[in-house]
Amino acid sequence: MKIFLALEDTFQVKMAGFLDNFRWPECECIDWSERRNAVASVVAGILFFTGWWIMIDAAVVYPKPEQLNHAFHTCGVFSTLAFFMINAVSNAQVRGDSYESGCLGRTGARVWLFIGFMLMFGSLIASMWILFGAYVTQNTDVYPGLAVFFQNALIFFSTLIYKFGRTEELWT
Amino acid sequence: MEPLQTSDWSGFGLVFWLFLVLRALVALSFSGAIGLTFLMLGCALEDYGVYWPLFVLIFYVISPIPHFIAKRATDDSDAASSACRELAYFFTTGIVVSAFGLPIILARVAVIKWGACGLVLAGNAVIFLTILGFFLVFGRGDDFSWEQW
Repeated sequence: MKIFLALEDTFQVKMAGFLDNFRWPECECIDWSERRNAVASVVAGILFFTGWWIMIDAAVVYPKPEQLNHAFHTCGVFSTLAFFMINAVSNAQVRGDSYESGCLGRTGARVWLFIGFMLMFGSLIASMWILFGAYVTQNTDVYPGLAVFFQNALIFFSTLIYKFGRTEELWT
Repeated sequence: MEPLQTSDWSGFGLVFWLFLVLRALVALSFSGAIGLTFLMLGCALEDYGVYWPLFVLIFYVISPIPHFIAKRATDDSDAASSACRELAYFFTTGIVVSAFGLPIILARVAVIKWGACGLVLAGNAVIFLTILGFFLVFGRGDDFSWEQW
């Protein structure tokens, strides 16, 4: 009914969208704003560990180095290191708002975060390179390359969700 | 015949009260037993007969540990959340995912059959829901009422 009314309005005011009056059904049982950090942590955990288990699966199913070169594990290791580097500094430390300055202060925190993001992006790009350079363009089974790529992509998204999906206001 | 006195009702009332307060514990124990039954069926049935899936027991045992470490490390319970607690959620989720990933990988390389994998996954789901139930019911902290027991 609401969509019909909205369509009526559309014909008179041609710029309105037909979902303007649409509202999600209200769920008042759980206060999602308080749970935001927990949900973000859980989602990040699922993504991170799913990425690792995809790589473990590829390593188990393709044990020979000709199928999955053992050096390709490096990408996942550096992604994981980058995850912990990026999430070791809080946003308050980077802004300089935090009372405890840590070992390095605000500039040190920014440099640490920068290096962390460099490692993360580098691993992601390297995994794409491995997928296309070592698997897609050769005439071999492409699954190990996909596994390397998905491992690093999932760790990358997990890092983003863990870093930016949580709010530090809930810590005070 | 004399009508029932108050002292007669008190015995019945005590039993009824015990039933109410113990029901959570009994229900959780029952579901835990069901989960372990699924796991053992996945190993011990005639068709399967391989005991590698029992390694997920390690994941069951270590899954509450990050939560307890975080609870010990940061004692401020007035904050809604803390970095330590969120890291504990992260690792607990990782342990749960690993408990699901291991049987799938074992089945992919034909160490166990897919039927056994399915039973182990079902057992995992039940056991982790049981552990979650334990934390929700009994983990409320110092201000929980005795009715939960």
